[in-house]
Amino acid sequence: MRRNAISLFVIAMVLMTSVFSGVAKGISEAQSQNLKEHCDEVREKLKIVQKNDAKTRVFLGSKYETILNKYIVPLNVRLVENNLSSNGLIDLQNSFAETRAVFNADYINYQQSLENLVTIDCKTEPDKFYNELSIVRKKRLTMEQDVLKMRNLLTQYVKSITELKGKM
Amino acid sequence: MVIEKNDENKKMEPGGRNLVLLGVFATLIAVITTGVSLMLYHNSGDIYLDRSRPGFLPDEEEAEEERVEEEYTFSRSGKITGEVLDELLKNLDLEIQSIDAYDDQFGEGALSDERLGIPLELDDKTN
Repeated sequence: MRRNAISLFVIAMVLMTSVFSGVAKGISEAQSQNLKEHCDEVREKLKIVQKNDAKTRVFLGSKYETILNKYIVPLNVRLVENNLSSNGLIDLQNSFAETRAVFNADYINYQQSLENLVTIDCKTEPDKFYNELSIVRKKRLTMEQDVLKMRNLLTQYVKSITELKGKM
Repeated sequence: MVIEKNDENKKMEPGGRNLVLLGVFATLIAVITTGVSLMLYHNSGDIYLDRSRPGFLPDEEEAEEERVEEEYTFSRSGKITGEVLDELLKNLDLEIQSIDAYDDQFGEGALSDERLGIPLELDDKTN
């Protein structure tokens, strides 16, 4: 009984330590002071990032849509009509459409966090602001990875068509 | 006698009262449905995909670029030959090149401490 209580206590302590060590990591005094002094400028810069991101999302989103609807899908339809095997290209079409949907969903998630960040007053809550900024950075990294995945799929697609052309 | 007559004038006719009620209800319904629509627009995330909202409208140059772009669509019917695939690859390559040429595709630099004007060193408060 006593051993169980001790083990429970030890587990609880380990958990508490891991939780609080994550929270305690924050910004330095210099960063905090600088954030307070330049809060308005930082928020303005974030708004510019927000606007540029919207532009990038529209550009990439429309390109992905164009490639899917004007290249990938019509070619697969035509291959089926010609009774040519296109298993690899159909898989690529599915992966491309799925990754594009993930890209859009991740973008919404990222923008929600970015908007939340802009609403935090860094003059009064610099720590909270910086913690939220770290979360937004992780979500931006996910966006970058989505873009890379789309680019890799395009490379694979070009390779597959080149191989198909070689068989003609 | 004069006061009584004034009071009678102040009383609203039933038709007039109904008209006011109709106006109030119509306004309430409009406010509620607009509120619900805006809530759905925001919560679904569509607001973030929409560039027609204030502050996010495309620049004039951007709109011009979009208009200039040529339209190419691979035909869904016909024989598939090496030449047809060559044409597809050529046009696809142009699309890919324009993607590659686009600056800052969600790179981490835009949110770096340096770019935002925050000092670089981090401090562990537990120390």
